[in-house]
Amino acid sequence: MPLVSEYIIVGAAMFAMGLVGFLARRNLIVIFLSTEVMFQGVVLTAVAFARAHGNLDGQAYALFLLVIAAVEAGLALGLVVLLYRRRGTLDAEVWSVMRG
Amino acid sequence: MTPWTPYILYAVFALGGLGVYFMLPKPGRSQVIPGAVLAVLALASLLLVIGLTVVSSETSNGFFYVFAAIALAATARVITHPKPIYSAIYFVLAVVTVAAMLVLQQAEFVAVALVMIYAGAILVTYVFVIMLAQQGGAPVTDRRSREPFLAVCAGFVTMAAIAAQASKLPAPDADRTAPGVSLASAPAQTTHEATDAGDADDVLTAAGNSYAIGSAVMTRYVVALEIGGVLLLIAMVGAVALSRKRVPVEGVFEPSRPPGEAGREVPPY
Repeated sequence: MPLVSEYIIVGAAMFAMGLVGFLARRNLIVIFLSTEVMFQGVVLTAVAFARAHGNLDGQAYALFLLVIAAVEAGLALGLVVLLYRRRGTLDAEVWSVMRG
Repeated sequence: MTPWTPYILYAVFALGGLGVYFMLPKPGRSQVIPGAVLAVLALASLLLVIGLTVVSSETSNGFFYVFAAIALAATARVITHPKPIYSAIYFVLAVVTVAAMLVLQQAEFVAVALVMIYAGAILVTYVFVIMLAQQGGAPVTDRRSREPFLAVCAGFVTMAAIAAQASKLPAPDADRTAPGVSLASAPAQTTHEATDAGDADDVLTAAGNSYAIGSAVMTRYVVALEIGGVLLLIAMVGAVALSRKRVPVEGVFEPSRPPGEAGREVPPY
């Protein structure tokens, strides 16, 4: 049994809970907060694999993941502010006008 | 580790999924308490299964269980709390415990960066936007969920697939995963100048993980580093362009347009 499976399972649990929040919540801010939780799970898993393989690739990957997370947060919150100004609400259902 | 460990994990995940399903905001009577009981049961049994069958005895560390329990409970609360500001605060808790688990895996630099960037920068931005956009009580948006059962099913399938693979991972070489040896030997692999590896060993014992990951990022991943910088610049320009505001002009009243769009366009500089 590898040494890091417990971290991978915890990371998977965080990722899956973030996915549930992303799919189920209707508040735009909570939706993007759920994606940040998913990032946490991925960072944990990447560092666990770095330890399992005994090199730094996973840690460097986690570092670049932080860059992507910062980019995503900036753009997503800009979008949230824009959408909030358009409709005056944070409800994601308001934007489901294209539903058939 | 036994062959039926994945099936126990599936059962535990199903229990936890049920708990999260009850905890998600729904109309009608609050089901948070029974959902929380189910989720805590699932969390305890998950840690028990990990402790009994997954963790090998030489690496079992009591801190891991504490931090994993706090991280998973905080995550569950992030996605189920009806007030976004509390979600953000629980998210800080999850970030700090994940950073602690990174320290347990000898990734000190990533742990510090995680706390600084997430708890220090990203979370402040989120709280700003929450304060900006949501004043007053919880609207109907936060009291109803969208297809909570299907969402929990999707999360369960994801978690079960990852955990089934994680429990089948081949064991790595013991000498490469020994604590301390792994990261100390990493710069010799990642730097292209292997000749100064002997001198670097003295530095490594003092500086450790920051030295190793710094040299890796500056040599092996330098292209990715540059691309990351350009990406941050593009995102900054994009965020400014997205969130510029129309400033109302004196004497112009446009009741037909929504509140944020009345007025004339101002250039973003």
